[in-house]
Amino acid sequence: MNRLLALAAVLSVAAGFQHAKAQDVTIPVLVPLTGFLSLEGTSQRNGAALALAAPPAGVKARAEVVDVGVAPEAAVNALEKAAGQKPLAVVASMLGAQVLAMLPVAQEQKLPLLTISGTAQVTSGNPYVFRFFLSDDVIKIPVVRYLTADLAKRRPAIIYQTTSYGQGGHASLVANLARRGITPAYEEGIDVAAKDLLPSITKAMAANPDVLIIHLHAGPTALFVKQAAQARITVPIMAGSAMSQPATAALVEPRDLKGVCTESTALPALGVSPAMDDFVNRYRKAYGGDPDAYALAQYDGTMMALAAVKAGAKTAEEMRAALSRMSYEGAAMTYKSDGKGNMAHSAAILCYDGTSRTPKLAKRFDAIDSPP
Amino acid sequence: MERASLRGMGLFGILAGALLSWAIWDGSPYGPRVVATAGTYALLILGYHFIFGQAGALSLAQGTFFGLGAYVTAVCATRWGLGFEITFPLAILLPSAVAMLVAGSVLRLASHYFALATLGIAQVALLIATSWQDVTGGATGLSGLPGIVLFGMAVPRGWPLAAFVWGLVGLGVLLADRIAGGVRRLAYETLREDPNAAAASGIGGARLRFLAFALSAAYGGAAGALHAHTVRVVSAQVLDFGMMITCLAMAVIGGRKRIAGALIGATLLVLLPEGLRFLADYSMLIYGVALLVTIVAAPDGIAGLLGERAPAFLPQAAPPPPKPAKGGLDLRDISKRFGGVIALDGVTLGLRPGEILGLIGPNGSGKTTLVNIATGFERADRGKVGFAGETLSSRPPDDIARRGIARTFQTPALVPGMNVLDTVAVAGGSSHPEIHHSRILARAAECLERMGIGTVAATSCGDLPPGAQRSVEIARALALDPSVLLLDEPAAGLNETEQSELGARLRVLAARGLAILVVEHNMPFLLGLADRVICLDRGRIIAEGTAAAIQEDPKVIAAYFGTEP
Amino acid sequence: MAQLLLNGLALGAAYALVALGFVLVLNATGAVNFAQGDMVVAGGYAAVAFAGLLPDMPGILLLPLVLALMAGLGLLFSALAYFPLKRRPPTAVFISTIAGGIILQNGITALFGSAPRSAPLLLGEGGFQGQGFLADRQTLAILGVAALLILGQHFLLSRTQLGRQLRATAQDRDMAQALGVPVNRMIALTFALGAALAGAAGLLLANRFFVTPTSGGDLMLKAYIAVAIGGWGSLPGAVLGALLIALFEVLIAGWISYTVASVALYGALLVILFLRPQGLLGEAAQRRA
Repeated sequence: MNRLLALAAVLSVAAGFQHAKAQDVTIPVLVPLTGFLSLEGTSQRNGAALALAAPPAGVKARAEVVDVGVAPEAAVNALEKAAGQKPLAVVASMLGAQVLAMLPVAQEQKLPLLTISGTAQVTSGNPYVFRFFLSDDVIKIPVVRYLTADLAKRRPAIIYQTTSYGQGGHASLVANLARRGITPAYEEGIDVAAKDLLPSITKAMAANPDVLIIHLHAGPTALFVKQAAQARITVPIMAGSAMSQPATAALVEPRDLKGVCTESTALPALGVSPAMDDFVNRYRKAYGGDPDAYALAQYDGTMMALAAVKAGAKTAEEMRAALSRMSYEGAAMTYKSDGKGNMAHSAAILCYDGTSRTPKLAKRFDAIDSPP
Repeated sequence: MERASLRGMGLFGILAGALLSWAIWDGSPYGPRVVATAGTYALLILGYHFIFGQAGALSLAQGTFFGLGAYVTAVCATRWGLGFEITFPLAILLPSAVAMLVAGSVLRLASHYFALATLGIAQVALLIATSWQDVTGGATGLSGLPGIVLFGMAVPRGWPLAAFVWGLVGLGVLLADRIAGGVRRLAYETLREDPNAAAASGIGGARLRFLAFALSAAYGGAAGALHAHTVRVVSAQVLDFGMMITCLAMAVIGGRKRIAGALIGATLLVLLPEGLRFLADYSMLIYGVALLVTIVAAPDGIAGLLGERAPAFLPQAAPPPPKPAKGGLDLRDISKRFGGVIALDGVTLGLRPGEILGLIGPNGSGKTTLVNIATGFERADRGKVGFAGETLSSRPPDDIARRGIARTFQTPALVPGMNVLDTVAVAGGSSHPEIHHSRILARAAECLERMGIGTVAATSCGDLPPGAQRSVEIARALALDPSVLLLDEPAAGLNETEQSELGARLRVLAARGLAILVVEHNMPFLLGLADRVICLDRGRIIAEGTAAAIQEDPKVIAAYFGTEP
Repeated sequence: MAQLLLNGLALGAAYALVALGFVLVLNATGAVNFAQGDMVVAGGYAAVAFAGLLPDMPGILLLPLVLALMAGLGLLFSALAYFPLKRRPPTAVFISTIAGGIILQNGITALFGSAPRSAPLLLGEGGFQGQGFLADRQTLAILGVAALLILGQHFLLSRTQLGRQLRATAQDRDMAQALGVPVNRMIALTFALGAALAGAAGLLLANRFFVTPTSGGDLMLKAYIAVAIGGWGSLPGAVLGALLIALFEVLIAGWISYTVASVALYGALLVILFLRPQGLLGEAAQRRA
């Protein structure tokens, strides 16, 4: 009996390998659906799946979703496996270490990667990567410009997560502030597992800052905002892109959000443009909730790849050539490669007014320069 | 390799064959990649087997050694462009050095505290890797590692790399079998199951555990190096607790006591999530269910399904080389207190080669304590244990056993699941590490013959009647080639025929020059056996003489019957 | 400073419930339950689910529902992950509880998604504003609820017939069996009690710090450390250890930094192990592992 059960376990694994051979246009979606990045990974999947479900007329597409967890090894293995089906492109995990591990394989297999990872090193010379989100070292340019030029802040305190996301954002903030001759009044890295954030808030406030810049994941961002409100902190908070995820705002009372701003590529909300309305409506219908900027960016990126198919790309190599040349009018913005695979060049500063969980556009930045 | 191990290897062979045929049939680079990944983890788990399987200590730092190896490789390769011929030895050395450095402090902790201490070390390593961004690249880690370049020759990706990895796994298996196979494996089993039996067999527990911990780190580092080269990115994820959990699951699912278990566990748990990935959101849920089903179906691991170890084959008994007795035992002024109770109070006692000395005394008179002190199981508060011109008072019991003072226990200290021949061979192996396994077995068989228990060589110790268990203990003591034999109530549980047989065997041993101390209550047994008898009462020697004389001694009678003299 | 101390105590109270559940199961079975952290998460999501079904109910009224549901989950967990392996090596139970934890974590993700969620306040908002610090109602309620549960648990074990049977089972399973204690039922009950305490901790933590499906691992580590610091198997030790960890975490983080606090916690752990391997309050667990 026991041996039979064990055999059954082995066979069920073997069955998994028998799965699927492609037809039509296949764009495998290799994203983290389990583990600590599953919230963001699910947004990525939703965006990509939404695009693949409604490709441009004349294109037939099929989504094949694969969970890659959070291990680089899993991402690489999944990419090699996906490569076996000769896809035109692959939606690649937004986790920095994973997409970095996928890069050399993509180059060997000549497979374009569509990602929304913010990790700066991702676009450093590999012709097969296309990023539809702002790189960490770019997204902080408008943030710093907004804080220093528009709000005239001079003493920022920076609190970041000790993860790929947080450390990348922190490095970029410090570099961009330094260009304006500003040294942060306070800096601290916080583990994702840290529970009470009051110690950090207390220490940051002791440094007498004029703005609190936080670059934390969704849960900790909400916690920071909530605890800051409880501690009656009136210094404005500039939060990282995680704040713009609806899941984050849902955790706090609207009044706690007063004085909180966040960075994003665009505001995925109704009334911005017809393309955006279409995206938001379809997203709500499919997933029963509001999309975030990650879903939007991955939707646009996948749509751009499908547009390239419609324009005649039949092989992965033609796809790479098309993505590196063409300009695409997405729901969020116009995407075009800067030569290194950075497709997004617009950013938005969104602020909450304390009456609702939906932010308002405070300022839009287009054609952000790549840093020198 | 033994037969059961071969069966395990056969099972692994079937699994590997299926995997290979699938990978070749699939034809994409995914196949060799999965094969290489499985090899990397196989090496990691082979290492984990030393500390977790053999030494039986739940180390939660195996993932850390893996991560250290990976980071060493990544830093050396990306920063200084060093080749595999340099990075690989470094990736093995650094984790081993860390293990040896902390071993002294952590290995003396009892089970779960050892686990927790290693967990603490692992967490600190993770914190350092995420915080020391200049060197480690922080949480994102280091990317852009080259493939394996050995003396300027690149190992191509795909099948060559997979073959290279499994070549190293093969080396690892051979080495593991050499280091921890045969009689050494039995020694580890004895240590795990009964530390007293191990010490009496001359097995140095501290040394064996140290060896296991250092080896587990070395293998872990080697696996980490291969991981770094196959994935080409090293991030803090390699040091995460999740990696350790994977490692633990692989070891237990495969079976932690057999080499084949490491290979089976690693291969299966690499394949399982790979095969489930297409389930997307449900991949890990089904993985958890599969893990639960597997462990319930095979609690001792899949290799454990193959049944217990095959019975030992009986080797031709070979006589030991003649070895002159080193000398007698010389106990001087031994005193020992337990709290307020005086167990021994200035006992002085000599035991000459060829002599059989009886030691009697009422319960609690200090007989067993005296044996414990003479053999290093307890430390005397005062006094000196002399043997062959040396003072042994502060030496550990296993060392004293190897030097030639062997003992048995009042309640036999045997590993119930181990067969008689192996039990005795363990002691032979510890005192003569230079001798080949087959010779050790042959000599163990000879020791069994000398005690008249050759017929039960293949029986598990736990299945023997108490009398036979005592004979196994004496045979084990003989396997140490001792000069002095201390027997704690050897005749208990024997009928009269057996007693007289035992007496005859002991006289033969004494005639060969062995010095024998027999702790007994059984006066008729001692009457025909002992040259001299000493009586202890409340930690002091109250009488000494021939057995017949002692029996008549009023002080002895008073001591036994409780009248104050 | 006073505020940090209060926050640390509230956090420690929640940790204490986690550690207590962990140590109860440990004592009864001799096995480490690696799913204890995921049980806390399950409790948090149970509270989220009940709050969805019964909107505007204060958290304190949801507590009995969460306790009952989690006790049921504990029974189910013991039936699937413990009893099939009862007479097997403890390592097998490690893996079965790890597997159980993976199933819980991913089952929750499948049911609720991976977004962080928040449970309702225990008694609503408001509180007592002191000199530069706020003793809000939620913090006080957390302390009160945790204290009540800990005392209740203590009362159950020390003053009731059921408690005596539970303790007998924990002290020596074979002896208890010989004395006619229904040992299997007692072990199942212990799992239920441990899960219920974890669930309560989940409810308390999920409002204050939110809950995500993956946050169990860290709680499990904290419980493990608390139990080792306090003395393996000791109930008061687990509570003390949990409070110490939380205060350490909050106060050192407030004084220097989170990273230093984490390093110092593990450093202190190692020092305690080397100097006092029997834990602060000494061992109590039966040695079966």
